Amino acid sequence: MSRTLRPVVLLCALPAAFFVAFFLAPMVVVLIASLTTPAGQPTFAHYLRILADSYHWDVLWVTFRIGALTTLICVLIGYPLAWYLVRTVRWRPWRRFCVILLVVPLFTSNIVRSFGWMVLLGRNGLVNDGLIGLGLIERPMRFLGTELGILVGLVYILLPFIVLAVGNALAKVDPALEHASADLGATPAGTFRTIFFPLSLPGLMAGAVMVFMLAVSAYVTPALLSGGRITVFSMLIFQQYSSVFDFNYGGALSITMLVLTLALVAIAGRLSEPGRA
Amino acid sequence: MVALILVRVVSFAALAYLALPLVVLVGASLTTTSFLAFPPQGLTLAWYGKMLGDPSYVSAFTTSTVLAIAATIVAMLLAVPAAIAIARYRFTGRRLLSETLMSPLILPHVVLGAALLQYGSAIGLVRSFPALLVGHVVIIMPFVLRAVLPQLTDEQRSLEDASADLGARPLTTFFLVTLPQIRSGLVSGAIFAFIASWINVELSIFNTTAELTTIPVKLFNYVQYTIDPTIAAVSGLTIIVAAIVIVLLDLTIGLDVLSERR
Repeated sequence: MSRTLRPVVLLCALPAAFFVAFFLAPMVVVLIASLTTPAGQPTFAHYLRILADSYHWDVLWVTFRIGALTTLICVLIGYPLAWYLVRTVRWRPWRRFCVILLVVPLFTSNIVRSFGWMVLLGRNGLVNDGLIGLGLIERPMRFLGTELGILVGLVYILLPFIVLAVGNALAKVDPALEHASADLGATPAGTFRTIFFPLSLPGLMAGAVMVFMLAVSAYVTPALLSGGRITVFSMLIFQQYSSVFDFNYGGALSITMLVLTLALVAIAGRLSEPGRA
Repeated sequence: MVALILVRVVSFAALAYLALPLVVLVGASLTTTSFLAFPPQGLTLAWYGKMLGDPSYVSAFTTSTVLAIAATIVAMLLAVPAAIAIARYRFTGRRLLSETLMSPLILPHVVLGAALLQYGSAIGLVRSFPALLVGHVVIIMPFVLRAVLPQLTDEQRSLEDASADLGARPLTTFFLVTLPQIRSGLVSGAIFAFIASWINVELSIFNTTAELTTIPVKLFNYVQYTIDPTIAAVSGLTIIVAAIVIVLLDLTIGLDVLSERR
């Protein structure tokens, strides 16, 4: 035991101390603040206030609806794209170009990417011009300040996560399985249903959970594309810390959001377990 | 057959969707008009000149870059020993350690930022470079761990044992045997960590001031009130830098993450 313990302590002492000091301790401070009054007396008042206020329920509902829709759309677009990139593109330069196109947004700040959509979705933006040009609408539509605008931005930002997760899973499928399936008389659709889809399911679930987490906790994209008209939960938290300065109540909001998202992710993880077998 | 056509249509649309905002911003940054226009009317680099002539942008770029470099170095110095301990030893709390070190990846950054601000104000570490630094180290350590851990394979372990049997001290073994074998993980981990720090807003925003600000936070504060071609030029520069980094990555360590020949 002590033969293992000494090197482990030597290697881990600093990283562990750093994480205790700047990650665990801050989180504990928030938890304690959420359960105390500004004077330091223990109380559940902040949580009761969240539960009692129907406005918070509305905001939560909007936040989780946007999160769920973002995840759904990302899966519906991302799965075919991953399939296309992994299974059909053979010409290497084009494939490289596509992968670069997928990764460049990941290396660019959310601000820049959301700003791009602010420009595109504006009254006189390219999207409105295009829709009018195609004769689909007569007058410019309002995207900024609507849930649709936020969805367009969030799907854009989170799409690469699904494509990379599914793509990785699809790339690992042994081509021999596909040949075997075809030799045994399965149709391409049958091969997809019985071989590819089940094997890609863990990647798809992992990607979807990641997208959902990031969509529900996103701050920048909704803040920029909502134009102040739609409030999501992270904005409530930010307000408490940056303008109201109620750290106790802000703490309770933070912990609520944390618990809700982690609970949903745990449920999603449990649901996907059978698929792993 | 119909399914394949549908896959193609969705994929091309999705690729266009991915390119669109980036193309529009870079395009709009080249316009000669004083408002954002796409397609750009005329071509000029004047807005890039204006950005480089503005000390507040230059200082935000500098802060972001210095912060990201410092955070990456600290994160590597902390994460690599932890990764070696996790990969090489079986000890109580090993799982807890690795899950804790990875958890900033799934916790909302707004919550982390708020926590660090509240905690920082208790210990006197707010709105300063060190306050930004510790937060960034926490959120980028998972990227280093995730890149390095899979490289610390068991085959390598016998080489390390051989090195030790031949009388090398642990540090010598680390530098001569382990390090060269995990080099590509270190490089990609460092790059992802650097980028994650460089583009972060949600965490930084709690600890920046008018004087001490990073480029994404400065952009965030601007974009909410004014939109002009200078902002597009700043955005354009970050897009161009990202594209260059990725092409370099692709040429050096290979980015074909979706290839089956791995």
